Amino acid sequence: MRRRIAPGAVVWLLIGVAYLLIPLVATAIYSLKSNQTGTCCTLENYGEIIHDPAFWKSFRISFVLALETIVIGLVLLVPTVYWVNLKLPRLRPVIGFLALIPFVVPPIVLVVGLLDVFRDTPDWFYAKPYGFLAAAYVILAFPYIYFSLDAGFRAIDVHTLTEASLSLGATWRTTLGRVIIPNIRAAALAGALLTFAIVMGEYTIASLATFDTFPVYIQDVNQNRGFPASALVLLSFGITWAAMIAIVLVGRGSGQASGAQVGGAR
Amino acid sequence: MDNLPRPAEAGRGRRLSLVWLGTLPFFAYAFLFLFLPAGQVLVGAFKDVDGGFTLENLRTLFDEPYRTGFKNSIEISLVTALVGGLLGFLIAYSAIREGTPRFIRSALITFAAVAANFGGIPLAFAFVATLGTIGVLTQFMANLGWNPYDHGFTLFGKTGIELAYLYFQFPLMVIVISPAIDGLRREWREAAASLGASSYQFWRHVGVPILMPSLLAAVILLFGNSFAAYATAYGLTAGFVNLVPVQIGFYLSGDVLDDPHLGQALAVGMFVVLAVMMLLYIPLQRRASRWAR
Amino acid sequence: MEDYQEQEYEFLRRLEEDKIDRGKLLKRGLAAGAGLSIFSLSDVALATRQRVLQEPPLLGRSVSVAELIAEAKKEGRLNVIALPRNWANYGEVLDTFTRKYKIPITSDNPDGSSAQENQAVRSLKGDPRAPDVLDVGPSFAIDGANEGLYAKHFTRNFKKVPRVMKDGRGFWVADYYGAISFGVNTAVVSNVPRSFQDLLKPEYKNKVALNGSPLTSGSAVAGVFAAALANGGSLNDIGPGIDFFAKLKDVGNFIPIAANPQTIASGQTAITFDWDYLNLAYVKEFPSARIRVIAPSDGLYAAYYCQAINATAPHPWAARLWQEFLYSDQGQLLWIKGYSHTALYDDLAKRKAIPKALLNTLPKYSKAPKFASRAQLTAARAKIATDWPKRVGS
Repeated sequence: MRRRIAPGAVVWLLIGVAYLLIPLVATAIYSLKSNQTGTCCTLENYGEIIHDPAFWKSFRISFVLALETIVIGLVLLVPTVYWVNLKLPRLRPVIGFLALIPFVVPPIVLVVGLLDVFRDTPDWFYAKPYGFLAAAYVILAFPYIYFSLDAGFRAIDVHTLTEASLSLGATWRTTLGRVIIPNIRAAALAGALLTFAIVMGEYTIASLATFDTFPVYIQDVNQNRGFPASALVLLSFGITWAAMIAIVLVGRGSGQASGAQVGGAR
Repeated sequence: MDNLPRPAEAGRGRRLSLVWLGTLPFFAYAFLFLFLPAGQVLVGAFKDVDGGFTLENLRTLFDEPYRTGFKNSIEISLVTALVGGLLGFLIAYSAIREGTPRFIRSALITFAAVAANFGGIPLAFAFVATLGTIGVLTQFMANLGWNPYDHGFTLFGKTGIELAYLYFQFPLMVIVISPAIDGLRREWREAAASLGASSYQFWRHVGVPILMPSLLAAVILLFGNSFAAYATAYGLTAGFVNLVPVQIGFYLSGDVLDDPHLGQALAVGMFVVLAVMMLLYIPLQRRASRWAR
Repeated sequence: MEDYQEQEYEFLRRLEEDKIDRGKLLKRGLAAGAGLSIFSLSDVALATRQRVLQEPPLLGRSVSVAELIAEAKKEGRLNVIALPRNWANYGEVLDTFTRKYKIPITSDNPDGSSAQENQAVRSLKGDPRAPDVLDVGPSFAIDGANEGLYAKHFTRNFKKVPRVMKDGRGFWVADYYGAISFGVNTAVVSNVPRSFQDLLKPEYKNKVALNGSPLTSGSAVAGVFAAALANGGSLNDIGPGIDFFAKLKDVGNFIPIAANPQTIASGQTAITFDWDYLNLAYVKEFPSARIRVIAPSDGLYAAYYCQAINATAPHPWAARLWQEFLYSDQGQLLWIKGYSHTALYDDLAKRKAIPKALLNTLPKYSKAPKFASRAQLTAARAKIATDWPKRVGS
């Protein structure tokens, strides 16, 4: 068993890291430039953003919105994908097909349509980001959550696990909760992370429905301020990454994050 | 799994209807929040300015500049899906495989998740800062004697868009393919090695076939993701490179062009392209999972 | 509204516009007199007046300032949309309004387009977050008025606004205008271009940018119009403008990126086309770029934006107070501080109400800039839609 990292792995990891970091470094260089002189080095741009109350308010709204979207999305899709994989495999390509629809409906169309359809709903749903916007974001996140879960369910033997669990006397709920879910934990986590990133980056729907989310704030700064925009990019990258790590740690919680494979003849 | 014969079920009719009930919450949600607005797009594409039925909008899609728009969009999406898919797979595998420290995987996955949704003007400017005419990397290369702009390269064209799109495409691949790579037990690799197989033989006969269904699905996802992206392309080239989502944005929410039905027809065109992709995907998928138990 | 009130307002409006002759004047005077005498019986008048005050008035003059402020304060908020803070000094305008009347303002979607503003009126009808007031391009103002999205309102100073800059029915009024200019980053470019012809010089390789695509941005269309005027075209023919940009791209001077504050401050887009009031604001905002604003000598094109009130505004009184504020001297001077020429500029200049220092910061036009009419704009857009992607796009 090899314990040292393979040289091929090092090469590809370095390439990946370089591709991801170089543009960020370039942005960082601009973020350190002073507005007065146009040269390095000052932290005034970061200060300007951090002391802006709109930055924190919009981040809080988006953060809570993201968590809400993740919960709704997973609660809706995990049982569905499980059920489809178990009992209705012929439905799999159908749902996969449906999963491509959110890509084709332009966000502009989606938001106008949604605003129209839900105009007369009570204010607690329609006028609050945590109602209307969350519903729209679950749709946007649906392809990503679905394909992540699908990959996860394919990697385990759903039938054997379910039959074994049921034959040992467990109920459906126990089977789902204590046998299946721990095995697709990695896939669900991947879906959750993607959803989080989508919500933190979605601009069109939020701005057209006139909610003040984080991406709306970022766009405003980008269009109206110079070097602080670069500082904001890095701050938002960093703060989103920190939130993701927190989610991973929570998801790791009681069990290994890589998904301990339970039983099954493989 | 799709082709194994199913044991005959007694009381089949009643059993089936209960089984379908399990998917009800999902379809109800999809209906309310997805089908209704999507249906509006479909209906609108066939309307003309006065509300009457017309096929003119769809016919116009075959004229310029829309034909170029579809060509550019499909080309860029294919390139970034395949290159991003390959790059993402290699990087994901490098992070997960035996021998790599565990923390690298967590760091990579979380960073990739942020990168996968980094887009729009911030991403465009990051690339301008790197490879623009006075970008950091451009100046570095110019100092070494080879300025890319003197040799025909420009960031503000198709190549630039592809480079920028790769920034979020390969991290997306990393995230989506990681759970599948987990399914590739390392015991299999060891077993293959102990039987005398080389790395290439392992991949060709064991690794790739097992992963193929997930790889295909991931590449389709990447294609769709790239096809629908427009904020980055607009930020980088301000719509000078014709792309379908950018054109849709012009028609539906711009200040100059005023034909929402043509915008809806373009959206229907996008749907057709993705539908064709999907139709190619289904038999490929079936073939790929053929050998699975 | 009651019939007699409708007649009274119509009478007053036509009187302003001198559309009324003596005979009609006498007849209507008698009708008004009769109506007024009946309804001026004290308790009837009081009841009518109270009922009337529930709805905001058509004429700004028909309620006192104190009443307007009181009713607006009762509503407690003003929703605005698509107003960036550094656009014609809107930041200070918003802050001054809030400070003066103690009415908080919610500013949504600051980077929205005019189309999105009209769409917000349609989509958010009945929602307490709907925008109360709008600032849109003229063709959107006309469309919105025809569609019934706006409310009629005549501010106190309505008649002082030049005829061509307002809607006679009261649906919208122009607020400010500026001309297309070059914003030059002199930290990067030492030799400043003075005309469109200059821009074709090889020293400006990879340096010239528009602020968006003319397929979606009204101000980018204005840039193409200015180029047309400078190259043998006219307001009726925008073709030469498209040709100019195609040529600019061919010689390699044009970079197809949408200029924004970051690209300007960093010097990536060294020469940008934009409204002069925006470029002038950038001078102070980005001192490191040492921006100079040049009005092109061979083609000067201008356009104005329009104020309108949402017909289904959630805060109608606050909306009208906002308009009264904008068209008062205080509001107008704040816009002028933002380097724009306002609708009431001529009136203020005549009364010598603009401080000398402020007057000196405004862009000077060596000749009168040209404005395109609705018909000319529509034709230009159609031509851009067909020709631009072919000639300049890829």
